[in-house]
Amino acid sequence: MTWFTWRQFRLQALVVLVLLVATAVFFAVTGPHLWSEYDSLRHCSAHGDCASLNSSVNNGYSKVFPFVQALVIALPGLLGMFWGAPLIAREIESGTYRLAWTQGVTRARWVLTKLLVVGAASMVAAGLMSWMFMWWASPYNTLSANRFSSSVFDSAYIAPIGYAAFAFALGVAAGVVWRRTVPAMATTLVAFVAVRLSFAHYLRPRLLPPLTKVATLKHAQNIGFERTPTGMSFVVGDANQPNALLVSSSVVGNHGGTMSSQWLNVHCHALFHFNPPPGKSGPTSVGVRPAMFTDCMNKISASFHQVLTYQPASRFWTFEWIEMSTFIVFALLLGAFSYWWVKRRIA
Amino acid sequence: MTSALHATDLGKRYGRKWALSNCTLDIPTGHVVGLVGPNGAGKTTLLHLAVGLLTPDSGTINVLGEVPATSAEQLGHIGFVAQNTPVYEHLSIETHLAMGAALNPSWDAQLARRRMHDLALDPSQHAGDLSGGQRAQLALTLAIAKRPSLLLLDEPVAALDPLARREFLATLMEVVADNEVSVILSSHLVADLERVCDYLVVLAAARVQANGEIEDLLASHHRLVGTRRDLDSLPTSAHVVEVSHTERQTTVVVASDDPILDPTWSVEPLTLEDLVLAYMSQAEEQRRELVRTKGGAS
Repeated sequence: MTWFTWRQFRLQALVVLVLLVATAVFFAVTGPHLWSEYDSLRHCSAHGDCASLNSSVNNGYSKVFPFVQALVIALPGLLGMFWGAPLIAREIESGTYRLAWTQGVTRARWVLTKLLVVGAASMVAAGLMSWMFMWWASPYNTLSANRFSSSVFDSAYIAPIGYAAFAFALGVAAGVVWRRTVPAMATTLVAFVAVRLSFAHYLRPRLLPPLTKVATLKHAQNIGFERTPTGMSFVVGDANQPNALLVSSSVVGNHGGTMSSQWLNVHCHALFHFNPPPGKSGPTSVGVRPAMFTDCMNKISASFHQVLTYQPASRFWTFEWIEMSTFIVFALLLGAFSYWWVKRRIA
Repeated sequence: MTSALHATDLGKRYGRKWALSNCTLDIPTGHVVGLVGPNGAGKTTLLHLAVGLLTPDSGTINVLGEVPATSAEQLGHIGFVAQNTPVYEHLSIETHLAMGAALNPSWDAQLARRRMHDLALDPSQHAGDLSGGQRAQLALTLAIAKRPSLLLLDEPVAALDPLARREFLATLMEVVADNEVSVILSSHLVADLERVCDYLVVLAAARVQANGEIEDLLASHHRLVGTRRDLDSLPTSAHVVEVSHTERQTTVVVASDDPILDPTWSVEPLTLEDLVLAYMSQAEEQRRELVRTKGGAS
């Protein structure tokens, strides 16, 4: 059965193999150059001109990086659509299940072999792609110092293996329920994207209790004020936590409470009631004098501070493992469902 | 001796509609059985139940003494040619034979190769490029090279032209002669079955209407023609299959093991086709009656 599964799967496998080889060739051609530039950047203090080297490395990547990354992130979903969905649906659709399930092999073994062989191939393909990509993109990712961002995390090392297992099992399950390839492919795509996105946005930040960090507003970055219907509000950018996953950030009063527009109105009166120069319309902030701003900021940082919750960079691998295992568990559940459905419901 | 197919109160429904109901059958081994009935009578359902592609919703079915498709060994005993003879269009004949060899422990590779050779089929040809007749022959080869004890064929010749039809049935007869194999094949045409079968099951309106060895069926069924009358005068042992009246004449098809001795009837033998048609039209009449009653009630 393993041989025949492989024989039926050969052409589809070949297409993905060609894609993997093409990507590998591309990485092998462009990678060493980017790596050597990155190496000289690391030792640039000896030669000077770090800034131009930095931008050279970044430029080297930035043109192709989004495309390659999109491919790596999409690959598990594509495997689910093109390997998973047709796996059993096509046999049902074309009527060949009547040939397949009346050979001297039980239907249970037939389904199990298909699930295992093609499922394992999906995981290997996604794993290879992701490891190659990580090698190639490592300098860029190190420079960006943002490995916990979903754009890096989702294509890194082992998480894609879990995604591929899940997408494949999802495709098979959709296929046995629909019994037709095309709707099964569409269902796979929609369900895969929905589960992946909701996992990345809602579940991932909460997988472990986040750490809390209190920061003074004195050194805060990207601060400013924003006009709101009720007056003004204070805006502060997220404090920089290299490679961490920021869960929440808020401005809290030293004795509790939040900053109201009323408070701002009272304490930063000058800032708020500054009249624009005569004859000039437009944003009221035009012409705010730095002194007013500094004065206001001092008052704010005396009474308020920033509270950040985040998953630290050190948890990166823990999170990769959790995410991969969770998706593999999803895949196992879906695989068991397909197995049961084919054995009991298609009868 | 175990039966080739033994069914008790067998039923299968799709949604609310019963495709097969109250099917009780006991077909001995060693026959070539024709399963005849109009389209939608439940022939495919019965065969799919027999090969384990479907599971019953009521009753039981045993094939060669075992519940279908419960083990690889059981599956190995049954050769099945499904309707429209499905094959993998993108795979070559050679690969199909390799599949048969890989998936069936009792595979007879020599037999399969010889059959392809006799049919003058190129093993490297893709199954999708074969003619309907060639495809049916390939499907038959896959089924018989398993060396099955029972061969089930679902409308194997329905889609074939007359020549391919004749060749297919000739091959089938060769197989039966060379191997000790029981065969059940379905068709909606009596003519196809008459040539090759010695046992008949008439299936109509989801029920078994008649079954038995063809010789016995023909011997026990009669057409009675006489002046127009009610049927009270018939012996009680006679089972009326079909009645039709004209202004002056009554024609009855009856099943009776005893001879009809009433001299007011002229007794005629039936052809197999007449017999099958009598059962089918009776089933159809009953179905219409049922629909009319239901329609009147609501």
